[in-house]
Amino acid sequence: MSKLKGIYTDIVKIRRMVFAELAGLALKDAKCEEFDKIPYRIIDTEEATYRSSIFKERAIVAARVRMGLGMDYEINQEHKLLSEGIRDFLNNDNQLKEPLVNVIRFACEKCPTNAHFVTNNCRKCLAHPCSIVCPVDAVSIEEHAAVIDQEKCINCGKCKEACPYEAIVNYERPCAAACGVGAIESDDYNRARINQNKCVSCGQCIIACPFGAIADKSMIYQLLKSINRGEDVRAIIAPSFVGQFGPLVSAEKIVAALKKLGMKEVREVSLGADFASLHEAELFAEDVPEEQPYLGTSCCPSWTYIADKHVPEVRENISESSSPMIFAAQSVKENNQDSKVVFIGPCVSKKLEALSKKVKDEVDFVITFEELAAIFVAADIELTKVDAEEEINDASYYGRAYANAGGVAEAIRQNLKEKYEIDPPITKADGLADCKKTLMKAKAGVLEGHLIEGMACEGGCVGGPGTLLATNRGAKNVSKFADQSPYKFAFENDKLNETDK
Amino acid sequence: MVKVKICAGSHCSLVGALNILETLEELQKEYPDQIQIERVECLDKCEDIKKAPVVKVDDELITSAQNQIVISKVMERIK
Repeated sequence: MSKLKGIYTDIVKIRRMVFAELAGLALKDAKCEEFDKIPYRIIDTEEATYRSSIFKERAIVAARVRMGLGMDYEINQEHKLLSEGIRDFLNNDNQLKEPLVNVIRFACEKCPTNAHFVTNNCRKCLAHPCSIVCPVDAVSIEEHAAVIDQEKCINCGKCKEACPYEAIVNYERPCAAACGVGAIESDDYNRARINQNKCVSCGQCIIACPFGAIADKSMIYQLLKSINRGEDVRAIIAPSFVGQFGPLVSAEKIVAALKKLGMKEVREVSLGADFASLHEAELFAEDVPEEQPYLGTSCCPSWTYIADKHVPEVRENISESSSPMIFAAQSVKENNQDSKVVFIGPCVSKKLEALSKKVKDEVDFVITFEELAAIFVAADIELTKVDAEEEINDASYYGRAYANAGGVAEAIRQNLKEKYEIDPPITKADGLADCKKTLMKAKAGVLEGHLIEGMACEGGCVGGPGTLLATNRGAKNVSKFADQSPYKFAFENDKLNETDK
Repeated sequence: MVKVKICAGSHCSLVGALNILETLEELQKEYPDQIQIERVECLDKCEDIKKAPVVKVDDELITSAQNQIVISKVMERIK
């Protein structure tokens, strides 16, 4: 997990302020010209604080504004006001398009890629084991210290291990280190570039970049405009939501606040998780091992993208079952055909899932908890001051526990045990790199008969890039909220139709 | 005993209060008898989001609070 996850830095602050500004303009139905003022309101100092100049700082904020609206970040090479491009976009497609996760190229500080360096801890010792153990003769002892020839070095790490002074460090690009599928490469100027053929849009690099050079696109503006137009917008909220808006804000208050914002209804996505766990238990019981050797879960879109892009041979064994998001959205639209559904969650790649052909009629908007918190600020809704409390009770214990690593497999396993008297071996992949490794194992045939859970974010959905809370705290809240459910198993949930159980 | 009141409202949570709370709770483990943390509802000082998060260390009100400032104020009083 990136070291920056859960730490509030100025990067996080600027990102959230941009969201709040965009939400504010949407709520006010402001004119396009107003967008031009955002970079000046956010960077309101006289001199640069973070970069070489305030002009660059503001240009980067402008890029964030564009992406916050769902546009490509690129500033044209010709002179053009921010608002002009925005006007074109809003009047024409007004729709988020791939690629979802982007490096803002002029914000990238070109960190050196994976390399070993000698720090000034080096005492130029007599033994200098670093140079002796090097298999490619890349370490020489120069006037003041050992020096590693980067041309020769193969990054085996032997010198680092041998040094008695801990003088050698292994340095990785934080974005590339966070990317477990190797999607981050370098462009001709040595800036990070995302290879879209490999990227699974999990968003971990957004959190990991210490210069805030990577961002995803958002649908905040389009969602709020839809509410402003008086459309029937209904929210489905992912199981990791508990506690994300402060320790004093109960689930009931979050629901009340969403209604105050204009949502006609709020349902738990965990309801969809109950559907999904029952459906996947049924698939497993029917097909494994006769029809397929093992079953991978379907709820994490990045996990399924890893199969698509990196290990396509195993794709057919990842469940085709709809994700909890889709089931929850369908259950809302069943009764309200003209409504729009917004999925609120911790997840970046759900934005992409919602754009897919299969899902775009079910889910109209996807926003993160972080984006929602900024919307609350813009709408001047302070959740601790919301008087009303609205009950929310849509899901079982195991459905609510979907948000924690291991929760998905456990829910399916419980259904298998109770309904089919099957207790399958379980493999859990936690984090991007682990997901890829697990799929490679599956391909090699060593996971026959297994139920395989894949979570691209470490710790599960509570570790998602769209959360406000540290992962371990989010996990505790999820468990506590799950304990409060009146139903233990998915098939005990009264909200499901008998035929689904 | 240093009494710290930290706003746990949604405005302050957006701009870093959760992080300050977490750091304070870690610090409290080291000085269990000397720090008292109270999570309070909105202290009504964040009408401008730039003033959030809001923290009170004993009687001293800190707006636009940052981790390192809050911790140093607390440590000053412990020593």
